[in-house]
This record gives sequence, structure tokens and C-alpha cells, in this order.
Amino acid sequence: MQNKTKLQVRDLHKNYGKNKVLQGIDLDVKDGEVVCMIGPSGSGKSTFLRCLNKLEDPTSGTINIDGFDISDKKTNIDLVRQNIGMVFQHFNLFPHLSVIDNITLAPVDLKKVDKETAKKEALGYLDLVGLKDRADSMPAQLSGGQKQRVAIARALAMKPDIMLFDEPTSALDPEMVGDVLEVMKKLAAQGMTMIVVTHEMGFAKSVADRVIFFHDGVIKEAGTPEEIFDNPQEPETKNFLDKVLNI
Amino acid sequence: MVNCKKLIMSMISLITLASIATFAAPTKEANAATTYEIGAGPTFEPYQIEDATGGYHGTHNGFEMDILKAIAKHENFTYETKVMSFNALLQATQAGQIDAMVAGMSVTDERKAKFDFTDAYYDAGAVLAVAKDSKIKSFSDLKGKTVGLKVGTTGSQYGESVQKKYGFKVKYFNESNPMWSDVKNGGIDATIDEEVVLRYGIKNGVPLRVASKAHSTTPIAFGTKKGANPQFIKQFNSGLAWLKKSGKYQEIMDYYIGSKSKVKADSAEDRTIIGLIKKNRKFLTNALLETLKISIIGIIAATIFGVILGVMGIQNGKILPGISSTLIYIFRGLPMMVLAFFIYIGLPDVLGHKIPLFTAAIVTLMLNEGAYIGAFVKGGFEAVDKGQWEAARSLGLSYQRSLWKVIAPQGVKIMVPSFLNQFIITIKDTSVLSAIGVMELTQTGSVIISKNMEGFKVWAIIAVIYLIIITALTWLSIIVKKRMN
Ligand SMILES: Nc1ncnc2c1ncn2[C@@H]1O[C@H](COP(=O)(O)OP(=O)(O)OP(=O)(O)O)[C@@H](O)[C@H]1O
Ligand SMILES: [Mg+2]
Repeated sequence: MQNKTKLQVRDLHKNYGKNKVLQGIDLDVKDGEVVCMIGPSGSGKSTFLRCLNKLEDPTSGTINIDGFDISDKKTNIDLVRQNIGMVFQHFNLFPHLSVIDNITLAPVDLKKVDKETAKKEALGYLDLVGLKDRADSMPAQLSGGQKQRVAIARALAMKPDIMLFDEPTSALDPEMVGDVLEVMKKLAAQGMTMIVVTHEMGFAKSVADRVIFFHDGVIKEAGTPEEIFDNPQEPETKNFLDKVLNI
Repeated sequence: MVNCKKLIMSMISLITLASIATFAAPTKEANAATTYEIGAGPTFEPYQIEDATGGYHGTHNGFEMDILKAIAKHENFTYETKVMSFNALLQATQAGQIDAMVAGMSVTDERKAKFDFTDAYYDAGAVLAVAKDSKIKSFSDLKGKTVGLKVGTTGSQYGESVQKKYGFKVKYFNESNPMWSDVKNGGIDATIDEEVVLRYGIKNGVPLRVASKAHSTTPIAFGTKKGANPQFIKQFNSGLAWLKKSGKYQEIMDYYIGSKSKVKADSAEDRTIIGLIKKNRKFLTNALLETLKISIIGIIAATIFGVILGVMGIQNGKILPGISSTLIYIFRGLPMMVLAFFIYIGLPDVLGHKIPLFTAAIVTLMLNEGAYIGAFVKGGFEAVDKGQWEAARSLGLSYQRSLWKVIAPQGVKIMVPSFLNQFIITIKDTSVLSAIGVMELTQTGSVIISKNMEGFKVWAIIAVIYLIIITALTWLSIIVKKRMN
């Protein structure tokens, strides 16, 4: 692992009206690090992730990504976003475009590459996620797991240096989960910086460099997978793990 | 989207320009030669009856034009006619653009201050008319009955003045023909209308009977600008005197309203639906084409306007969406007929020039239908899953690029059924434009009925034509919908 800091969050707050969803988050993520975020429903995990690429506007606090302060109004957020890939729980593929067009749309439209190169690269990413033969399918013809893998390929096509995942497998049938996690493991192995909100404790245990436990809008506890899963310190963490692991 | 604003502004200025261009009439220097420039009103049977070309060059042009023709021949002058609305005629005469005007013009003291008149060739007056088989013999039989009056006419004024005396109720109409039909069908018991107009209708098959002498008579004559054309007046008057003496005048009047009819006995013609279609084929074809033309151009204009409104409606910030929803609110809220009247009759007062009928019709459709289109275009964009925005933006696409590349294609798909539906509504709505006189199907239906009184058959024909168009479009929309899936 290198030691360069990729992402730095300081005292991040987010309110929805009176509802204080994030109440002072501090986090540093190093280049190539894989961070898994776990925690009960409504604890603010998604909100935090969405603040990182400004899909939500933080109420206060600072977020630095690659040295860009994204809470600064002068920062061109469209440029920063090109370096942050995001994968959604519900895939959000563009239903009117074929798989390959889903992947090439942004790189071509933003003039990162010409159309031919984009296609070639897209096929490479499809190969990575195991769907090279589905390039010309429409999203509606794919299973949930296949859709999510296309969504990952689409995010990768912008060559981001951070990937954000918001429960990428929780909308999938159980037998599809493995394929998607497999792809994510591959990415981790290639050294991609990843922040993953997940309920897949097995994945967190085996892939994460660090596990963060969210509770009521704060990071209640953070540590290596071993520290969190085998020897949790906080009663809330224990309580949560008891619930999810005993199901 | 600054472009939206620009587009709207340029649309408005285009419309304004078009109306200015149409108004600017060429001025003509005074002409002392024996060719007179005569301004004539549009068809007002039997005073003036335009021929198929929309002018007065034929043989059956109404008694005013026939009188003019006979006098010109006898007095050895020639003339050219220009057709204008009554108000335009008044202005053109005062401006010296025409030598004289003819349009069933009554000679009033007020007008005498600004006009010189020829001798009168007819006294217009209000008469009572009842259904052929009615028991009403005169005004004294009207107690408790209902009498139809046409708003703004001498007949109406006379009717109101004697209403108390004879104890009848009043029902108002804007046009003679529906009023006559109502008498014929027994909806009302009688009507008070202008004598010659009524007699002409009767001669052409309207089953009514005149039941009184003429009241509130006013003389009808040609008018010139005061002091500007004594020569024309002299020639006209001398010709008119000869016309009356020689019996030619009576011949002309008999031709149009006499009981011993020498002209077309319309009752003998084919009154079956097929016969009516045959007789009015050209008329109906033109009406159909006009309806289609106005619908198509109207739909195109409304679609452009509506899409602009819709796109403005989903922009960031407050100004553009605010403008969009205000315009949608106004033009969707106004009844289309009010909008049409406002544009065609109201706006010229402010602008100081006429707005061409066609322009007014298209602008009305554009604003009204466009507002509906704007609402569902905006709604269609908003109906696209929020996740699509987030996915597009998270890839680094800007708001506009996301809208264009990701949201719009999906939104349009949602909108297609609404578009097809709106097109059908637009075609039907063109019938409202008959109110400002657009000669589309509905207006044509009214005009045909005014000639033959065959209300049921003619409206059935018109209704079937509409249904055929709508059915064709519905099939088309089913095909389009199938293609899309
Ligand atoms: N757009 C919004 N407006 C108002 N409140 C919101 C909004 N989005 C989220 N919230 C609230 O913020 C809180 C945190 O929501 P968030 O989605 O971040 O939780 P989460 O930890 O991701 O939960 P889950 O595991 O169920 O996805 C919740 O109470 C939620 O109701
Ligand atoms: Mg969540």
C-alpha cells in the first residue's frame, strides 16, 4: 500500500431540515485502500457516499479528493466527478442505450476518447466483468447481476481513481451476488481505491483494508476487519453484528 | 438556455412583422379619370355576393354590385373593385385610397359629417318573420312568445323598443342563420331581421314568411370622402335615376328578392346528402384543406413552443421555470375562443394594425395547444427516474448534456402518447377558430347552411369529415405506438 491520501473528509455535517443525518464525519482514505462501510439502516451511509461526489450538498465540513476541495463552489464538479466512479444499488443503466453505448456515452461525449477507441476500451471492461458477449444487448435483456456488472464497467470506462459502491448487491437475487463481488475483488486486487457500503460481511472481511461502522450519523468504530468483526469495542457495533451475522 | 428566450422573442417579432406587412396597403394618388376605384365589403347576401375568386367579376354578385355595373355601363365609366372589411373600407375612403365604398352602408347623420353619399337605392328595414305555417299574423300576436334578435342590428334595436308594447320575450343570436333555423324548428316563435336579407333567404328556400312591413328604415347608398368625388356622385345619381325609370332597377331587385322568381329555384335542387356534397364539393374540399393546413402548421408551431416551454420548465434556477409555468398557466387557463378573439380583434387595437386571419389562427393554436404540450413535455422529463440523472451526473456529464443525452430520449418516449393525443385535440380545436371567421370545416358548414337551411344533413356531413380525419390519425398513432414497443 502506498501512503498518499486520496480522500480527506473533515467534520462533515448534513441536515435534512431538522433531521441531522451526518453529524461530524472525519475520514482519510489512502490510495489503493478498500474501505467497507457497514451500519444499520438510516445511519447515513448512503448520504455520506453521495456527499463525496456532491450528489448531495453537505451542510458543512470539507471534502478533499485528489487535492480538490469539492465543497468549494469554484471547483468544477463535473471534472471532479469524472474521476469518481459510482455504482448504485439499482444499477441505473440507461435503458434506451445498448450495453456498449451505455459504457461509451460519457467518455465520447466528454471527448476523453474518440468513438473507436472508446468502443475498444469498453469491450475490454466488458471482458473484465465477464460480459464481452453482451455488448449489443439492451439493458432490459440482462439479469440484475449482469446489469450491475455493466454499471461497473460503465463507471470504469471514465478511468476513475476512486470507486464508490452503494450496496451494489442488495437488489440482486442471491445467486447473482457472487459474480458482482468477484468483479469487485478483481478491482481491489488491481489497486483501485474503493469505498463500499455493503451488507455482505463476508466480502468486507476478506477484501476490506478497513471497516467502518456507521451509527446515527457518526463513525462509531473503525478498524481492520479482524478488529471490527472479531473484537468489536462499542456495544452498538456488537449489537449490530449480532443481528446481521445471526440471520 | 438563453436560446429559449431568444426563440420566443423572435417568434413574437416574426408574428408582429407579418401583421405589419399585411397592413401596409399601397396608397393611390387621386384619379380624376373615368376609372373609379371602388371598395366593396365581403359577401353580405344579397347586397354583395363574392364569386368563386373572392371578387365581384361575375353575374350573381348581389344587387349593389349589379346596380353599379348597370350604372357604369349607362354612364360610360369603368371601375375596379377592391374587397375589404367594412372598417377597412371606412378608413380607406377617408384616406383617399379608394374613390367610393359600397357595403350596405346606411346613411346616417353621423356619417354625413365625414362622407358624401349618392342617392339611396334601397331602404333597409326590420321586418317580423315567422315559420311558414305559423299562426302569428303580426306584432300584436306576439304576447308571451319568444322573438330572436341579431345583436347589434337595426332589427334588434327595433325589437327591443317594442318588446314591452307587445309583451314578447327575446333571445339573442350572433348570426342570422342559426336564428332562422330556430324559428323553423320551433325553438323560438319569430324573428326580427333585415328585410332584404330575410327575403333573399326565403327565396333560397328558408321556410319562413314575412309578417310585417319594414320598420326603422334607413337609406343605403355609396359613400365617398367628403368633397372628394362630386363627379362620381353625379354620374351615379344620374345613372340611378335612369335605372329606376327604365325598370332595370326593379328587375335587379326582383332577381334577388322578388316573389316571381326568375332565378335559381333552389328548392328544385338535389337536397339529399349526396346532392349536397356534390353541390358543395369545392367548398367542402377547400374547408378540409384549410382545416388540415391550419392543424398541421398549428401543431408544428405548438410543438416548437411547447417543447421550449417544457425544456425551460426543468432548467435549474427559478427564472426560466417561472416563465415557463406562468406562460403555461395563462395560455392553458384561457378559453381558446377568448384567446382567438383577443389576438384577432383585441391586439390590433393596441398594435395599430390588422393581424392577418391566418396568423391569428396559428398563433392561437400555438399558444393554447403549446401550453398543453409544454405541460406534458415538462412532466415527461420529470417522470424519468431520478436515478438516471444521478447516473449521468456521476459520470461527469453536465446538466444540459445529461438532459440531452439521457433524460430527453427517455422523456420523449413517455410523451409520445400525449403528443398523438394533443394532435387529435388540435384538429378538433380548429373548429373554435370559426369564431373569428377562419373558413375551416365548421365555419364552412355554417355558411353552407346559411344558403340551404339543411342543418341536419350539413352538420352530419361535417361531423363525418371530422371523424374520418380523427380516425385516420388514431390509426396512425396506434401504428406509431406499436412501432415504439
Ligand atoms: N433526500 C432526503 N430528504 C430527507 N431525508 C433524507 C433524504 N435522504 C435520506 N434522508 C434521511 O437521512 C437518513 C439517512 O439516510 P441514508 O439513506 O443515508 O441511510 P443509509 O445508512 O444509507 O440506510 P440504508 O441502509 O437503509 O440504505 C434517513 O433517516 C433518511 O430518511
Ligand atoms: Mg443506503
